[in-house]
Amino acid sequence: MPREPFILLEDVSKGYSVGGQPVHALDHLTLSIDKGDMCALMGPSGAGKTTLLNMIGGLDVPDSGKVMVGGLDLSRLNEMQRASFRKRNVGFIFQFYNLIPSLTAYENVLVPVMFERDQRRSRAEELLDRMGLSRRMDHRPSELSGGERQRVAIARALMNDPPLILADEPTGNIDSETAREIVSLFRQLNDEGKTLIMATHDRMMAGKARSMLRMRDGRISGIKASPRSSTVHLGSAQYQTQARE
Amino acid sequence: MTERPKTFTIATYGLSHMRHNVMRTITVLVTLMITMGFLILTLSLFFGLASEFDTDSERRSILEGKVPTSTDLFRDLRIDRDMSEGSRQALVELLLFTTVLVCTVSFFIIYNTMALSVRERRREIGILRALGLSSWEVTKLFLAEGGFIGLVSWISALFLGMPLILNLSVYLLERGDTAFFFVAPAIPPQLLVVSFLSCMGLCLVSTYLAARTRIGSSPVKLMRSQE
Ligand SMILES: Nc1ncnc2c1ncn2[C@@H]1O[C@H](COP(=O)(O)OP(=O)(O)OP(=O)(O)O)[C@@H](O)[C@H]1O
Ligand SMILES: [Mg+2]
Repeated sequence: MPREPFILLEDVSKGYSVGGQPVHALDHLTLSIDKGDMCALMGPSGAGKTTLLNMIGGLDVPDSGKVMVGGLDLSRLNEMQRASFRKRNVGFIFQFYNLIPSLTAYENVLVPVMFERDQRRSRAEELLDRMGLSRRMDHRPSELSGGERQRVAIARALMNDPPLILADEPTGNIDSETAREIVSLFRQLNDEGKTLIMATHDRMMAGKARSMLRMRDGRISGIKASPRSSTVHLGSAQYQTQARE
Repeated sequence: MTERPKTFTIATYGLSHMRHNVMRTITVLVTLMITMGFLILTLSLFFGLASEFDTDSERRSILEGKVPTSTDLFRDLRIDRDMSEGSRQALVELLLFTTVLVCTVSFFIIYNTMALSVRERRREIGILRALGLSSWEVTKLFLAEGGFIGLVSWISALFLGMPLILNLSVYLLERGDTAFFFVAPAIPPQLLVVSFLSCMGLCLVSTYLAARTRIGSSPVKLMRSQE
């Protein structure tokens, strides 16, 4: 039975001009990722990992090519539709947490539902509780450690219960002990059915993923799927990976 | 356990932001207050002139220092009857011109103040957009804050500025040797309405214009900007 991939990029290119020099952040990239995957995105700095995550999350639009997520063609959406796509479907986790400094942990978690009629505030408390932050709810980001901030950011990403979590170097500024906790949390989320994609330089983190994509110069340079699920496909390599199943 | 807010709204957000950035908020407030003070003063002179001729008794009551008590705060003081129709007309026109000028200058000052504070918050705008708030929702956050700051500065400009205006008018009436001899600044109810509308209008429009360009740009670009 042919599987419908959850995320599908077809011939996606994105270029920037840096000081007059064109940079191919993504260079005719084709790949697909299945629902329920936990995919580590690796590669040297400047390989295009962040750019790729931004495309998948509907934060940015490609110069050419097609980005499909859950059957939705993101390149056809306007900015307002993309915002509502992000709100409902994507939980972002950033390297630098990106919390709102003036708000408490609890309020930060509520930001995504600020304009919603039913704010499910008890859910915010539950999520913070689950992150082990029940005693930190009324603290501002400046009063929290890096690991705690990142857990607040994870709670915020989960607030709308999105099927897709995109994490850009989530443990980049965190000690290895806390990083381990965060990875095991990601594993739990993945077991609960969420699809995770995480850009990382951390081998430990990549080792816990179900699959791994390696990027270089805006292209996929390597692909590895763990035996328990080979769910990442890359251009023509797609058929090989599937044949192995 | 501390009490958490019942609802998390635009107001919670705005107030937290203002409390967290006290110095910034005070700077904006004071700038707007001074600007609005000038606006209100000009408007009051304009109203004073444009209104009907007056009786001497009212002018005398100012000289006797009866004015500004809270009950006759809105006393409508008018221009001297000795003034010729021609010079009155000329003064009205001059003041009309000044009012327009002060409005224009106020607009640019308020716009710049708001643009600066929006600029400082580029990253925050990017984050909000990334989390799925629409441009209009983010705009509403800024409008609510701009409107609130506008309201507070209007009220303070009025209540700090009014005694100043009335004292100035007493002083000018006593001196009696300038063109202002003919002008008793007035604080009629219309002044409240007009100054409220113009102050809030200036604030909201400039906040909207300042925020719109930033909020409309790509969330990725906004988030990459340094704070
Ligand atoms: N907004 C932008 N303006 C200019 N150039 C950009 C922009 N975004 C990305 N680039 C460039 O595109 C390339 C890919 O960037 P990207 O951030 O995706 O890399 P990355 O793999 O995430 O790197 P890192 O591991 O350092 O985070 C880089 O050369 C970068 O300089
Ligand atoms: Mg990156």
